[in-house]
Amino acid sequence: MFINWALQEINLKIVYYGPGMSGKTTNLEYIHSKLDPSLTGELVSLKTKEDRTIFFDFMQIEVGKIKGKKPKFNLYTVPGQVYYASSRKVILNGVDGIVFVADSQPHRMEANIETLLDLENNLKQDNHSLEKFPWVIQYNKRDLPGVESTDILQKKLNFFGVPHFEGVAVRGDGVFNTLKAIINRVVQNVQNQL
Amino acid sequence: MVQTKKLKDGSRQIILNGKQYEGVTKTLSELATKTKASAILFADMSGQLISQRGNTEEMNTTVLSALAASDFAATAEMAKLVGEEAKFKLLFHEGEKRNVYLSNVGDYFFLVVVFDVNVTLGLIRIYTKKAIQSLQEILEEESEETGSEKDMIDSDFSSLLGDALDETFK
Repeated sequence: MFINWALQEINLKIVYYGPGMSGKTTNLEYIHSKLDPSLTGELVSLKTKEDRTIFFDFMQIEVGKIKGKKPKFNLYTVPGQVYYASSRKVILNGVDGIVFVADSQPHRMEANIETLLDLENNLKQDNHSLEKFPWVIQYNKRDLPGVESTDILQKKLNFFGVPHFEGVAVRGDGVFNTLKAIINRVVQNVQNQL
Repeated sequence: MVQTKKLKDGSRQIILNGKQYEGVTKTLSELATKTKASAILFADMSGQLISQRGNTEEMNTTVLSALAASDFAATAEMAKLVGEEAKFKLLFHEGEKRNVYLSNVGDYFFLVVVFDVNVTLGLIRIYTKKAIQSLQEILEEESEETGSEKDMIDSDFSSLLGDALDETFK
């Protein structure tokens, strides 16, 4: 979090984390397509030729002034593929809140768990931990046939009982609710620490 | 001293007061005049743009800061892999028309200088080095207690923010 008193700005960094192809970039693309252009900047994607995020996606959104203050939210995604592990770590620098985008398909469960452990590991290196850090889960791809039930997903992934949302990011289902939840959690977290 | 705080969950908060912001902006203006750089940005290591000078109207400086911070972070990892124990202090990107010079300012901030190829790198290096010294002094100066995040984010703020988000995401 960065606060600039002269400009009355509050900057927050939110990172979308999750296994490859779980829909992190799709979340950002939906937000970008729906928001009023005056409130959102360009969506920058650093992708390979195969459309995989190689480094990160980035966009900044604003919600106008609140009590004279100007909150700005910087949204990032990380590359999901295992071999981009060091890029993922780099993006977490200075993070205030995390959205974990899980893939609801049964054959992706292992990838979900592996990525969650990788996240915990990266957070630990910065003296954070999933137990205390503000984060939420989005169970994405709920429209696909044969997806895992949310009960099972909850049991296997949400071991700290953080807020969870069902999502179909391509249609935008759950996308804004997820974003709202993480922003609220980050702000609450700041208040709780005062 | 610029206020940096570690919260209980380990996250970091950086608070810049009005006087420091003015000092930073003044230093960037001087650097822009002396070097004739096209654009100068000052940002924090998490990628948030703090101040800018020069002809930045047609440049997306928000994105530029995010990319530059990642550039720094990526090369810090590179440094580790090649056995360099400290972080690389500066990065230089050479183009046909424009060059970009990046240098860290302490652990939490960095400076981006965009300049035309007809400006010599030596000139940029000398003045940037001086600017970094004065930026560090500004950031380290003892400041009167400004408002804290308590005044910035009160309970009223979060409920109003909730309403604003609902409005924005309608």
